[in-house]
Amino acid sequence: MFRRKARSFRWLFLLIVVTIFQQVSFAQIIFVDKEIRMTNLYVAAGYIIFEWVYLIIMRAATGTAHLELEIIAFFLSGISIIISGSIAESYAFKQVVAVAAGALAYAFFLWFLRDTKRAMFMRTPVAAAALGLLGLNLVLAKTVNGALNWIELGPVSIQPSELVKVAFIFVGAATLDKLQTMHSITKYVIFSIACVGMLFLMRDFGTALIFFVTFVLIAFMRSGDLRTIAMVCTGALLGAMLVIYFKPYVANRFAAYRHVWEMINDKGYQQTRVMIYSTSGGLFGLGIGRGKLREVYAASTDLVFGMLCEEFGMITAFAVLLCFAFVAVYAVKCAKSSRSAFYAILSVSSAGMLLFQLSLNVFGVMDLLPLTGVTLPFISRGGTSMICVWALFSFIKSAGYEGRWANE
Amino acid sequence: MNRSTKRSYVLYALILAFLAGVGVMIFNFIVHGDEWVSSKANKHVYNGGALTCGGTIFDRDGVYLAKTEKGKRVFNSSSTLRKATLHIVGDTQGYIPTGTHTVYSEQLSGYSIVDGVYKLKEYGKGNDIYLTVSAKACRAAYEALEGFNGAVGVYNYKTGEVLCDVSKPTYDIENKPSDLLKNEEKYKGVFINRFFSGLYVPGSVFKVVTAACAIENIPDIYTRKFECKGKTSFAGGTVICNGVHGKISFKEALNKSCNCAFSQIAVELGAEKLTATANAFGFNQSLKATKINVGKSRFNITGSQDYEIGWAGIGQYTTLVSPCQVVMFMGAIANGGAAAEPQTVKKIVSPTGLTVSGLRQKNSTISIDPSTADKLKTLLRSNVKDSYGDNRFPGLEMCGKTGTAEVDDGKPHSWFAGFSMREDFPYAVVVIAENAGSGYGVAMSTANKVMQTILKG
Repeated sequence: MFRRKARSFRWLFLLIVVTIFQQVSFAQIIFVDKEIRMTNLYVAAGYIIFEWVYLIIMRAATGTAHLELEIIAFFLSGISIIISGSIAESYAFKQVVAVAAGALAYAFFLWFLRDTKRAMFMRTPVAAAALGLLGLNLVLAKTVNGALNWIELGPVSIQPSELVKVAFIFVGAATLDKLQTMHSITKYVIFSIACVGMLFLMRDFGTALIFFVTFVLIAFMRSGDLRTIAMVCTGALLGAMLVIYFKPYVANRFAAYRHVWEMINDKGYQQTRVMIYSTSGGLFGLGIGRGKLREVYAASTDLVFGMLCEEFGMITAFAVLLCFAFVAVYAVKCAKSSRSAFYAILSVSSAGMLLFQLSLNVFGVMDLLPLTGVTLPFISRGGTSMICVWALFSFIKSAGYEGRWANE
Repeated sequence: MNRSTKRSYVLYALILAFLAGVGVMIFNFIVHGDEWVSSKANKHVYNGGALTCGGTIFDRDGVYLAKTEKGKRVFNSSSTLRKATLHIVGDTQGYIPTGTHTVYSEQLSGYSIVDGVYKLKEYGKGNDIYLTVSAKACRAAYEALEGFNGAVGVYNYKTGEVLCDVSKPTYDIENKPSDLLKNEEKYKGVFINRFFSGLYVPGSVFKVVTAACAIENIPDIYTRKFECKGKTSFAGGTVICNGVHGKISFKEALNKSCNCAFSQIAVELGAEKLTATANAFGFNQSLKATKINVGKSRFNITGSQDYEIGWAGIGQYTTLVSPCQVVMFMGAIANGGAAAEPQTVKKIVSPTGLTVSGLRQKNSTISIDPSTADKLKTLLRSNVKDSYGDNRFPGLEMCGKTGTAEVDDGKPHSWFAGFSMREDFPYAVVVIAENAGSGYGVAMSTANKVMQTILKG
């Protein structure tokens, strides 16, 4: 009885720990050079109040004390707000708005996915919208950092490929759930090839790779037929080789791989700086705003793991990595107990996608894998990706919500 | 649970791969972190490729040799001392590979895996380094060498502390000569610390090795007489002596550095035995002076003709050695066959005043049989007492051997290597003065001046 009670309050304890971490960190971007940065102060206060209210409502509305996912999401999102605020106060404001939007998207999907029929009905419109968005992107996009993956809509710029990640998993899970006909599989394969193909055209190689791995994961979850997967892999591998052969840009990026110290001021610039400055931070960091990596291009987006090590310290940086590993284990548990394959696929492919993207980013900047320029989920600065990662977390949560905690 | 939900376990494979990657990353941080932080691209430590904000480098008595002032690296105010300590202190840009600035950059920046470079940011400097060298001794050696290039080294063979490390040519780091990189003649190999890395023909200093081999392999060596007519002929060629010594004993031959006697001994010993002894004295081995690699010496007479072995036995032929190795085996002879490995850092002190590391006690890999070492000690003492004269080394009870190494260009190089017998003064010394002629001259007087300076304290 007592133990059960203690467990039902564990989330509160976790939240308090996270809040303390956030207060200590926010303090460093509020009190700078004996001045008080008011916007950062408002952002900090607003964010901490928001997370408490949100979690208390979530606790009441869902009737379960399993709020680990939400707390991890708030912990990670908080870091991105703090890093944004340490660069510019306007960034902090934008980022906190994005987190709020993400948290609302999370709640929306949790509600939306409870009704399987409704979800099935939406799969075709969502697929069409995703392809349309990518197509629009190809037509309108401007080149940023070698990849054509941004659309400017007035003051905000959105990254369609991030939104399509959510659609890709949703459509995959919904299509392959019950209708195991050849027809529906073919449709999904065509959808996938169209997505990955358009990403290649946008020269967003890293994201294309993420889609491919997620596709393999979904295909395995559904069929379990190793021969099918082998064929898919071979085809994709051949495709990738052709891409490397034809796209000097991609080949260029691979050229520095494992040779970054020989190209320290050239193609290995970003990776070597991440390695230098992440070790400079030690276990406890140099303090937020006191790093040197922030002077390097894309420090708060692609290279943010280095900033995390340098300014927050390695303990925090590795805690972030372990959070994602925990989420993946959590996703498997949710999937196992879920009501149907639909939820299991949603959960496992979301966690797999996040973990793979995280690996590409972190091991890429550390030169353990080639640098592909994908973002670090939750932590990298950027609105669209923030909203999408929250949505992916809701996919994991809904599997558990519909399964093991349904009768709690 | 249906089949599909069961397949969720596939994610565990991805998680394991991810954790393995994290493990490799942590391993890299631990193993390579110090190299990464020491990269010249690290703006916490370097500015425009030059180390700007490291800790202070002191000599063993607390005389500063280099420090950071207002974000600039400044060196000792004496121009002579700057030149005398250039190679041990090193430059901030890493031209001098064995300099403290380069070898200990990580300690100067105060890096540790726990704190990163936090101390550097917090205190404006990293750890202070107290070297084992004495500024006074370095200055004395630098001045004693006069205009000659070469190297002087003194080390405590019991503790390994290097008290003097001077290498010439040198330059004033605060007033860099404009022709430093252009004047090949004047500044050839100026960035090389000749004490550790210079490789020289050993000349007669090598006779100590031949003598050791003879003591161990020729039972009646002390009663034998050798014939010296000014030259000795062997198959293939002739070895020429520095004089005509007539019939002389082993001991007299070493006193007078007789080439005829020692070449005959070398040929009698043969390539195999000589090589074995040379290897025990550190030849052909990778020797270390803590974090500095000692220049790898060469002794190769495999398949050589008799006259070549004869020349090799008196330190000519293709043999090359670093002054550091010579002082190391001199120390081993003095210390009963084994001596401490040279070290250049006395202690490292953190900005908070904590001693981070001190001297390490470690024996070098040079190993001589104790009874052989003892006999060599007696012979080397006899050299000074009976031949060079104790008045050359007042109060030191010196043991030693001179060398006059013939070189292709110009006058021979002048060597002196030895040690004091005094229990309270466990120091070995080596001097090489390039193209200075006989070892009895500049080399010996420089050795005495440096040792006297250290003795006075």
